Amino acid sequence: MVDSKQQWKAWLYLSPAIVLLLVFTAWPIINTLRMAFLENYSGLQEIGGATFNFGIGNFLTVIKYKKFLQCLSNTVGLCITTVPISTILALLIAVALNSIKPLQKILQTIFFLPYVTNSIAIGMVFAAMFNIIGLRPGGGYADTWGIINLAIQAFGGEPINWINAGSNYGPNIIVMIVYIVWNALPFKILVLLGGLQSINKQYYDAAKVDSTSRTRVFARITVPLLSPMLAYVIITGFIGGFKEYSSIIGIFGENMGPAHDAGRLNTMVGFVYDALERDFQGRASAAALILFGIILLVTLFNNHVIKRFTHY
Amino acid sequence: MNKRIVAICMLAALLLGMLGMVGCQPSVSTATPNFVVPEGGFDPTQEVTITFGHTMGQASMAIVDKYIKEFNKIYPNIKVEHVNKGGWSDINGTVTTEINGGTQPNIVYCYPDHVAMYNLAKAVVTLDNLIASQLPVGETGEILGLTEAQKNDIISSYYNEGTAFGDGLMYTMPFSKSTEILFYDVDFFKEHELKVPTTWEEMWDVCEQIKTIDPTCIPLGYDSADNWFITMTEQMKSGYTDASKTGGDRFTFNNDANKAFVEELRGYYEKGLFTTKDLYGNYTSGLFTNQDPSKARCYLCIGSSGGTRHQTPKTEDEEGNTTYAFEVGIAPIPQYDANNKKAISQGPSVCILKGNDTTDQQIMASWLFVKFLVTDVAFQAEFSMDSGYMPVLNSVTENATYKAWLDAANGFDKLNALAVKVGIEERDTYFVSDAFNGSSVARVQVGAMLNKIVSTELTGGMTVESLINSAFTDAIDECVFQAG
Amino acid sequence: MSQKDNVMQAKDLQKVSTASKVTQVLVKFGVYAFLIIMALIVLFPFYWMIISSLKDLSEYRAPTPTFWPNKVVWDNYPMAFSTANLGQLFMNTAYVGIVSTLLSLVITVLSAFAFARLEFKGKETLFGLLLATMMIPGELFTITNYLTVKNLGWMDTFEALIVPFLVSVFYIYLLRQNFMQIPNELYLAAKVDGCKDLKYLWKVMIPLAMPTLISITILKMMGAWNSYVWPNLVTKSDATRLITNGLRNAFSDSTGDVNYPVQMAAVVIVSAPLFMVFLFLRKYIMAGVSRSGIKG
Repeated sequence: MVDSKQQWKAWLYLSPAIVLLLVFTAWPIINTLRMAFLENYSGLQEIGGATFNFGIGNFLTVIKYKKFLQCLSNTVGLCITTVPISTILALLIAVALNSIKPLQKILQTIFFLPYVTNSIAIGMVFAAMFNIIGLRPGGGYADTWGIINLAIQAFGGEPINWINAGSNYGPNIIVMIVYIVWNALPFKILVLLGGLQSINKQYYDAAKVDSTSRTRVFARITVPLLSPMLAYVIITGFIGGFKEYSSIIGIFGENMGPAHDAGRLNTMVGFVYDALERDFQGRASAAALILFGIILLVTLFNNHVIKRFTHY
Repeated sequence: MNKRIVAICMLAALLLGMLGMVGCQPSVSTATPNFVVPEGGFDPTQEVTITFGHTMGQASMAIVDKYIKEFNKIYPNIKVEHVNKGGWSDINGTVTTEINGGTQPNIVYCYPDHVAMYNLAKAVVTLDNLIASQLPVGETGEILGLTEAQKNDIISSYYNEGTAFGDGLMYTMPFSKSTEILFYDVDFFKEHELKVPTTWEEMWDVCEQIKTIDPTCIPLGYDSADNWFITMTEQMKSGYTDASKTGGDRFTFNNDANKAFVEELRGYYEKGLFTTKDLYGNYTSGLFTNQDPSKARCYLCIGSSGGTRHQTPKTEDEEGNTTYAFEVGIAPIPQYDANNKKAISQGPSVCILKGNDTTDQQIMASWLFVKFLVTDVAFQAEFSMDSGYMPVLNSVTENATYKAWLDAANGFDKLNALAVKVGIEERDTYFVSDAFNGSSVARVQVGAMLNKIVSTELTGGMTVESLINSAFTDAIDECVFQAG
Repeated sequence: MSQKDNVMQAKDLQKVSTASKVTQVLVKFGVYAFLIIMALIVLFPFYWMIISSLKDLSEYRAPTPTFWPNKVVWDNYPMAFSTANLGQLFMNTAYVGIVSTLLSLVITVLSAFAFARLEFKGKETLFGLLLATMMIPGELFTITNYLTVKNLGWMDTFEALIVPFLVSVFYIYLLRQNFMQIPNELYLAAKVDGCKDLKYLWKVMIPLAMPTLISITILKMMGAWNSYVWPNLVTKSDATRLITNGLRNAFSDSTGDVNYPVQMAAVVIVSAPLFMVFLFLRKYIMAGVSRSGIKG
């Protein structure tokens, strides 16, 4: 039931957000639309006196790009692997962190530390872990194998070329997944911990009285009552995941791929950046809108699925 | 059938390559400069404020501050404000956005491809008319343009970089420069009576010798695969890019000479004679200065003169005593043709920007400041000593302090000076590749292509030839797409 | 039921309880092992940041990474500090951080409340639109927003640093979800009691959502503290520049190269106050909910 008093009250509460969003978000989006439909649009060229035709040329350029499908499949692939993994891990950590008494404070503090860790440092750690230095042609000999390969060798395995020249797509993607999950964990843990705190303790007390098993409590109380936050983490995870770009730079540099195959791991937003770097704003906008369409479809689907399982 | 296609492809590539060579002829300028000096010239009695955006750190900014004071002794009414615009990766993005808002600084630090981008907005002031102007600047006793002596004093290859934009007009002035040089282990070369290579042939001979002396080593480390490819195209005159053309025709590197050179490199790489930064997985200077006997070394290393401090094999003990593992020698990079010596020129230039609100007074004041920094011997000397970059004036070597600094150069603690010294001696060999919006794509692509061709293992019916052909075609396709 | 049966039952119960004790201990152990392993993984980059800030540049660039600096270079810290006017930049950053966090919290709370508790026409559509704005890469907005800020006459002012980032759909969504967790019965009961919306929001919703609000506070503060590209665009003078922009001078050398150990030192310096803030706020995140007047 909608009463009119609630109507205007709602709009009143929303007004500051809406005004600011109109100016700083809606307006740039309208501008993005304009740029997407002006063929080969470039802001600098426009200042320089060039004019642009209205049309769908930018979209065709993007779709016809030889590596468009590759960018798209990298993006989707990373997204559908990292979001579930990081969500499940974060959930387990948050629940575990919430259930312990000794060491709780210190562990919570540790899980917060990534926020104050510079992303360059994280990139460096990965270099130390996965980067093979001085791998000779034909493999077999290298100056520095990296921690992970040393561990593999310690267990009698063959070292793997993860990210260097000559590496295969599989190891590349595994490293990216580990990196992205690692990066995504702290925020998700923080959100889920916050969510756990909002669950009424009485549910748990009731479960205790009934001596319900741990797994049952987890599946029947924790997860359903946490479902709004889980929904949030999953949906924003997907939205963010589709915009993955900087993590690839973090591992592979501006090359967006191992030394012998530049661009192998490029993503949709990577494509947008490349175009912006040369001021091809028309092309960049078109690619962004295509990406937008994809994310929208996925989010609608997610929403549909999640709504059936979410307990409000 | 297949052979026929390959043959046609090669023929096409050959034709393309020839076209590229033709394109190397200097293009005749038909464009007209976009700035005309107003009749009265510059009025030094009027107050004017100009801004200078750069990427300098604290120490260099202090030097600039000092010389702004000197500048103000001549032009007390020109107020110069300067600001750090971030690192090299940020500055062109920032300035591009500012051009969109018409708020760009009057003078910016630039690389050629940045200039090409600002030029899309026609925001870069051509310097031709300013340089040529003989108008006096008020009562200061100076003229607006460059005197013949000043012009001749600027190292000509640097000066000519200002016209690398395809239309023959002058867009930039050199500020401070670096090049690639060859670092070698003097002790090792003396011990084994090796000759420092001056040509690529000698280089590979020496590398083979070194490999027999120390089988685990990688004799040569060449940091930048991009620079290697570009430098070779220049040394061989085989064609790389050409800004005077349009669209996809600007990329002229897909030709047989280049393919042959990369194929040769592949052979050397298989023998373990060289590596690049990307193939090695870290800076090759680390390989050069390595003192851990369980790890490999390189005895020759080609890298930027601006990165000389990383090539010093020094260790510091607890008490702060410094020891050097070996003496470092510096030589020019090897050449393909002794009659066509070429080494790449890098490092910042400056350009003058204009927007709707920029006045002629501001443009001329900016020019006077640029002129001052570029032609002032004391400034060039001090900036070079601080940064390890090379000055752009011939006469800097006559400056007493600078001369003393150069004379003290050695292969240990004064390696910076040694690098600059070698760099200055090689000043006639410098080149820059053509710049246009997208020229940086070609740079990235050829580097990756070189790495790919030398390191890819042949599998399933792949031949060296097919690998090379497909790598070149892919690189060209990517360039054509990315550069629009 | 015979006596024999009873004895049997008691024995069984005993068995069960020892077994459950064993599993309980095992579970505890498992939980701790899991948390500690994950903690080490998460901690590693932080550790790396600290040791990198103490390395000398050549060691940082060495092919074999070292797990402890061969020679501890404390000088990186004074070097990172050597920027002129650091005090002023620090105050600017704190001001921008605090003001934008406070304003942003107010806007976020009001919007999230409207979406979570009020009924109005077009609610679902509006919320969907808001979510949709998150799906476009923000970098496309930079130039347009730059022009807007310039036309508003905000260049080189704190407004330019604060206002464009006050609304975050990301946080509104987060808080809305958190509000949704709170049973609607509470709200209806409050309504019956004649409790005004804002009072209810203040007295019930905000305390219950405190952990999330604190998370938002921390993230927002971090944002102000770490932002670099936008401040670099819209500020020119030391009166408005932020700390990251100032520090940049210290770790980029004359040619624009970056001295990473000094940069790491700078990051540590900048992060330290934030870390303190977190330590202070941590107990509120984990405060738990055992307040009176809340019934499921």
